[in-house]
Amino acid sequence: MTTYEDTHGAGRTRSGPGWAVRLLAWVCILFGVVICAGGIWLLLLGGSWYYALSGAGLIATGILLNHGSMKAVAVYLVVWVLTLLWAFWEVGMDGWALVPRLVAPTVILVLVLPCIPALRRTRSRI
Amino acid sequence: MFANQENTHARRWLMATAASVALVAGPMTALPAFAQEDGAEQTAPESAEDADTSAPEADAGDEGTADAADTDAGDDDTATGGDDDNAAAPSEDGDDPAAEGEDEASVEGAPVEESASAPFEAGETYEVGSDWPYWGGGSSAQRYTPLDQITPENVGNLERAFVYRTGDMPEGSAEGKYSPEMTPVKYGDDLLMCSAMNILISIDAATGEENWRFDPEVPNEAIPYGASCRGVSLWTDPDKAEGDACATRVIEGTIDARLIAVDAATGEPCEEFGEDGMVDMWEGIGERVPGWYAVTAQPAVVRGVVVTGAQVKDGQAEDAPSGVVRGYDARTGELVWAWDLAAPEEMRDGPPEGEVYTRGTPNMWTAATADEELGYVYLPLGNSAVDYYGSNRSEVENEYATSLVALDATTGEEVWHFQTVRNDVWDYDLGSQATLLDYQGTPAILLPSKQGDIYILDRETGEPLTPVGEITDLPQGEIEPDYVADSQPVSEWHTLRKDPLTERDMWGFTPIDQLWCRIQFRRAEYEGYLTPPSTDPYIQYPGYNGGSDWGSVAIDRDRGLIIANYNDIPNYNYLVPREVADEKGWKSIAQRQDADGGGGGGAEGAGDPQIGAPYAIQVNAGWRSGLTGMPCTNPPYGGIRAIDISTGETVWDQPLGTARRNGPFGIPSMLPIKIGTPNNGGSVVTAGGLTFIGAATDNLFRAIETETGEVLWSDVLPAGGQANPIAYEVDGEQYVLISAGGHHFMETPIGDYIIAYKLPSD
Repeated sequence: MTTYEDTHGAGRTRSGPGWAVRLLAWVCILFGVVICAGGIWLLLLGGSWYYALSGAGLIATGILLNHGSMKAVAVYLVVWVLTLLWAFWEVGMDGWALVPRLVAPTVILVLVLPCIPALRRTRSRI
Repeated sequence: MFANQENTHARRWLMATAASVALVAGPMTALPAFAQEDGAEQTAPESAEDADTSAPEADAGDEGTADAADTDAGDDDTATGGDDDNAAAPSEDGDDPAAEGEDEASVEGAPVEESASAPFEAGETYEVGSDWPYWGGGSSAQRYTPLDQITPENVGNLERAFVYRTGDMPEGSAEGKYSPEMTPVKYGDDLLMCSAMNILISIDAATGEENWRFDPEVPNEAIPYGASCRGVSLWTDPDKAEGDACATRVIEGTIDARLIAVDAATGEPCEEFGEDGMVDMWEGIGERVPGWYAVTAQPAVVRGVVVTGAQVKDGQAEDAPSGVVRGYDARTGELVWAWDLAAPEEMRDGPPEGEVYTRGTPNMWTAATADEELGYVYLPLGNSAVDYYGSNRSEVENEYATSLVALDATTGEEVWHFQTVRNDVWDYDLGSQATLLDYQGTPAILLPSKQGDIYILDRETGEPLTPVGEITDLPQGEIEPDYVADSQPVSEWHTLRKDPLTERDMWGFTPIDQLWCRIQFRRAEYEGYLTPPSTDPYIQYPGYNGGSDWGSVAIDRDRGLIIANYNDIPNYNYLVPREVADEKGWKSIAQRQDADGGGGGGAEGAGDPQIGAPYAIQVNAGWRSGLTGMPCTNPPYGGIRAIDISTGETVWDQPLGTARRNGPFGIPSMLPIKIGTPNNGGSVVTAGGLTFIGAATDNLFRAIETETGEVLWSDVLPAGGQANPIAYEVDGEQYVLISAGGHHFMETPIGDYIIAYKLPSD
C-alpha cells in the first residue's frame, strides 16, 4: 500500500523522494539527454544553441529531483523562463509556432511545481 | 479588365439550330465597357429578392477596389452581358428562368452571315449563370457566377438540398488510389459528371435524382497515380435540332485513354463519334501500359475541335509515352491535328506508319482553356517524363516544358508560348487552368503557377502584360550544373510564394520533434528557392503541390479580385543513384507491368525510378517528420488570398482549413482552430459576395466573405472536398454544389458524394 509520503517522499523519512518524483526525474533526464545530444548535433551543424542548453538544464533538473533537492525547481524555473524568452524572441506571437516551444516545457513545469512539498530546502547529499 | 469572354466578346455565330435569332457580338473591345456592364447587371438572373440584395453589394465592391473596378474590371463584365446568353445555349431557353430579358444583351453586335456547320468556325459559347456549363464556370474559366441570391447576410441559413452518391467506390486493387477531384457541369435541368472510374452520370440539378449513367468499364489497372476524372465537357452540334440524338453531347477522357461522347439527354453513346462513341487515344502512343497514359482532365472544345492531352505518369522513364496534345472532330471523333512539340510538322496528321509520337515529351495533364473567339486553345504544359534530371532532354523539350502554349485549335499550329521555368528539375508542371479576362482593355490570359507566380499575358501574342522579372545567380548544384539554369523568370506583379525557409520555421509538436526537424533542415542542401537536386537531402520550397495547382484561381468580376488558394509547404527530396535504386528494386510502371501488373497510388515521386536518367528520385511530399508524421515546417500549410486585379496587391490572406482532422501520429486533434492545411481544389466566386471552397484537408466546405476573407459558414463533408465547387440556379433558386470524393494523396476519406446546398424554400 502506497501512502502520500511514500509517493512524494515525506521529508521525515530522509530516504529520498518518492516514486512519482523519481519518475519525473527520470523523464527529465531522458528527455534532457535526447534534447541535449540532438542540440549538440544541431549546434555542430550550425544551428540553434537553445536545445543543447535546455537539454542540459533538463538533465540537471532531473538529477536534482532524484536527490530530492529543491534546487531542481529553481533550475527548471530558469530553464522555463529562458525558454519563454527564447520562444518569443524566435517567433514572436505566432501561436502555432509557439506550440512546440512552450507546450511541453510548460507541462514539465506543471509537473515539477507540485514536487515542492516533497523536496528539501537544503541539500544533504549533493 | 477581367472580362469574361464567355459572354460578351465571344463572337456568336449563330448556330443553325439555336434560337432563330442569330446574333453575333462584335469583338468585345469594340463595345463600351460600361454599356456592357449595365447589360450584365440587367441580365443577371435574379429574382426580385436578389435585386435588393445585389444593390448594397455593388457598393461594397466599389469600396474595395475603387476605380479599378469600374474602369477596368467593369468591362469585363461585360462579359457578363453574356449571361444573357443562357438563353443562347441551344435548347436551354425554355428551361431557363433567367433567360427572359437576357436576350437584350445578346443583341449587341452585328448579325453575321450564318456559318452554320462549316467545320471549325467560331461558334457560340454557353453562358454561365443559371448554368455552370464548363468545368471553369463560363468559357473564360473564371470560376465566377453572376448569381447573387446567397449573400453574406443569409449564407448562415444554407442547407443541404440533396446528397447524391455515384456508387463508385474503390474496390480491390483500386483501394488507396482514389482521388476523383470531380466538378460537374450544370446544363439545363441536369448536372453532368463523371466518377473516379469515368462513369458518366446525369442527375437532376434540383433533386439529385439520377437521369442516366454510362459506364465505360475502366479496369482498375488503368489507374495511374490516382483515379481522377476532374470533369466533362459539352458540345452542341450546330447541325442538329434539339431532340436529335447527340444534339448536345457530353465528352470525357478516361484514365484508360479513351475519348468518349454520349448524348447529354440520354447517356447513349454518340454512334457517329469514333467507334460507338469512343476514340482510342493509345493510337500513335506506343506500347499499351495501363496507367502510364491517362486522361484526368476534361477536354477543351474549341470551334468544334475537342482538344486533350493526357497525364503521363511522372518519373517512370525517359522513354515514356509522348506528351502529344491532340484535337479531334467533336462530331466524328476523327483526328483533326496532333501537336507533337518535338515534331509538329511530321506528326500533325498523326505519326507515319510504324512510328509513334515523340517519346517522353512534356505533357498536358491539366485542363486547357478554350478561346472560341480567337480560335485558340491554351495548354498549360508540364515537364518531360523524368522530372528531376534534365541533361538527357532535347532542346525542344527544354523550349516548351512548363510553358503555357497557345495553339490554333483548328489547325494545331503553335501561336505562341510562354515559359515559367527554364530547364525544370523541380516538377513545377503548370497545373492550373489558365483564365481568360480583359486586363486593362487587352484580351488577356491569367496564368498561376505551382511556384505561386501569377502572370497576365496578352492572349493574342503571349506577351506579358504584367512585369516579369529575372532572378539571377541561382545555385546550379553538382549533379548537372551545366543544365540547371542560373537565372529564372518570376512574376513581379504577384506571387503566392513566401520567403525562403529558415531553421526557425521548423515545427513539431514537442521540442524533440522540432529539434529533429531542425537537424534535418541543417543537414539538407538548401539555398532558397530553386535549390537544385542533389543526392544529399535537399529542400524544394514551394513543393510540387504548389502554389496553385489544378484547382486554379477564381475571379470576382464585381469586386476586381483574384481569389487564389494555394499550398505553402516544402518537399524534402534526394536523388538516388541508379545502382542504389536498382538494389531497392525500384521499377518503372512498364517494368512492373511485366512483373506484377503495374501499380499506382502513393505519393508522386516517392521512389520514382526515372529509368534512363542516372538517378532515381525520393520525394518526401509535404516534408513530414519521420517521428510523428507531422509536417516539419510551421503552419500554415495552405491559404487563400484575395488579390486586387488592378494593382496586383494582396487585399487579404488567410490560412485555409482547420486543425480538426490533423494531429500527431495521424490522430485527429478535433481542434476547430484555423491552421491552414494543404489543399487541392479551387473555389467558386459568386456575385453575391461569397467564395465557396472545400479543398482543405479538414473536410469542411465553407463560404468565405469575398471582401474580407472571413469564413461565414461551413458544413462538414462526409469525405474530402478536394474538388472545385460550382454554383447554378434552378427555378429561381441558387444552389452551390461540391463533390466530396476524398483524395488518397491528401489523405482525406474517400467518398462518392455529390452535395448540393441552397437556402430554405419559403
